[in-house]
Amino acid sequence: MKKILILLLIAMFTVSSCEKDDICDANTPTTPRLVIVFYDINNPSVLKNVTNLKVIGDGKTEGIVFNSATDDSKYLTNGSTISIPLKTDSNTTKYSFILNSGNANPTLTDIDEVTFNYTRSDIFVSRACGFKTLFTFDPSNPFVHASVPETKLKWMQYISIEKSNIANENETHIKVFF
Amino acid sequence: MKHTLKYFFRIWLLMSLFLAQAQDIIPKKTSSERTKIEGEIPEAPKQAVAKPVAAAKTDSIVPLKKDRYGVRVGVDLYKLTRGLYDSNYKGIELVGDYRLTKKYFLAAELGSEDKTTVDDRLNTTTKGTYLKVGFDYNAYENWLDMENIISIGLRYGVSTFNQRLNSYKTYNAYPYFGEIPWKSSGEEFNGLTANWIEVVTGIKVKVINNIFVGFSLRMNILVADKKPSDNFENLYIPGFNRTYAGNFGAGFNYTVTYFVPLYKKTAKTKK
Repeated sequence: MKKILILLLIAMFTVSSCEKDDICDANTPTTPRLVIVFYDINNPSVLKNVTNLKVIGDGKTEGIVFNSATDDSKYLTNGSTISIPLKTDSNTTKYSFILNSGNANPTLTDIDEVTFNYTRSDIFVSRACGFKTLFTFDPSNPFVHASVPETKLKWMQYISIEKSNIANENETHIKVFF
Repeated sequence: MKHTLKYFFRIWLLMSLFLAQAQDIIPKKTSSERTKIEGEIPEAPKQAVAKPVAAAKTDSIVPLKKDRYGVRVGVDLYKLTRGLYDSNYKGIELVGDYRLTKKYFLAAELGSEDKTTVDDRLNTTTKGTYLKVGFDYNAYENWLDMENIISIGLRYGVSTFNQRLNSYKTYNAYPYFGEIPWKSSGEEFNGLTANWIEVVTGIKVKVINNIFVGFSLRMNILVADKKPSDNFENLYIPGFNRTYAGNFGAGFNYTVTYFVPLYKKTAKTKK
């Protein structure tokens, strides 16, 4: 009997070896960002790269950092996909999408403002990660789109909601055609 | 720090195991060694073997060793005093054991806890009661009328409790809009249950008369628990303590117990 107990105790020591659950693993899916993919309006199935797109949240002075550059070019992207965070303490998030940002010719710079409307739900993840916030677009009015100044044409010609539930970052939530 | 403490306990547990083992063997050796010293040095080993038999016979006749059997009841001082300095904790644990045979004790712990756990992103309060029942095996060979215990044992623990989520933080890997403060919740999860198995190593030392002071370390394996909901889990279980990802836990207690002797039984001569 004593031998069995000792064996059991040793087994427990080995089984219970290092299990860190105090640190939130970076690979754990937590609060997702909004994934926007840009397409060519003339050829809607083809991805189109943006040129020097800068995205600034309402009330912020600095844009979203898209790359690891050290100068101001870190706020610019030239790809076809962007991931931007939504506010987790508000049901709307307003962004300015500035195309050709920093261009020497100011007439080439286009600014569109998009306000996303959604509802939120907080979901438990784990002891270390706490909760995550998932978003669902407002079914009747998912976004408000305007150009700045209003007289100017919108550079985003068509915005399509692909997924109304934003639960992870592995899928496209919004397609923008321009 | 938590982890360092965990390993410290583990090493302690392992050490105490060896201690128990060592104590088990020493008295047998000393008895033979002692006779060896008394015996004539130049004699051949044959005679040395014959002598102890006679010595043991006379020994057993003079003082008849009687083991006391009874119930030991007490309280866990750690849980009792923790409430004095930790405002997030209130708890009590009553402990008891009953001597079944020379080596085996029926043992139980009954307790109640009210603990608020503050993690980096979660603040929860767990309230509930628990009962642990099992046995202890005394691996310590007492001399004369000593009644000390170095034991290893098993318990089966059950707990009923409720858990309240006081507040939480959402994890945002991209805090562009700044870190979001704690959100209050107050959501209650009632009627939660859990059961587990504990391996216990402990010592109990008689300090005066029938009063014992004891310390035990426990490793717990969760058998089953009723989760609060599909997307929430039990972060603390009364009696089991903090839950870890791999269904294991750890605990300890520091007890003061009073032994109530019920009857005496002559100790059987071994072998």
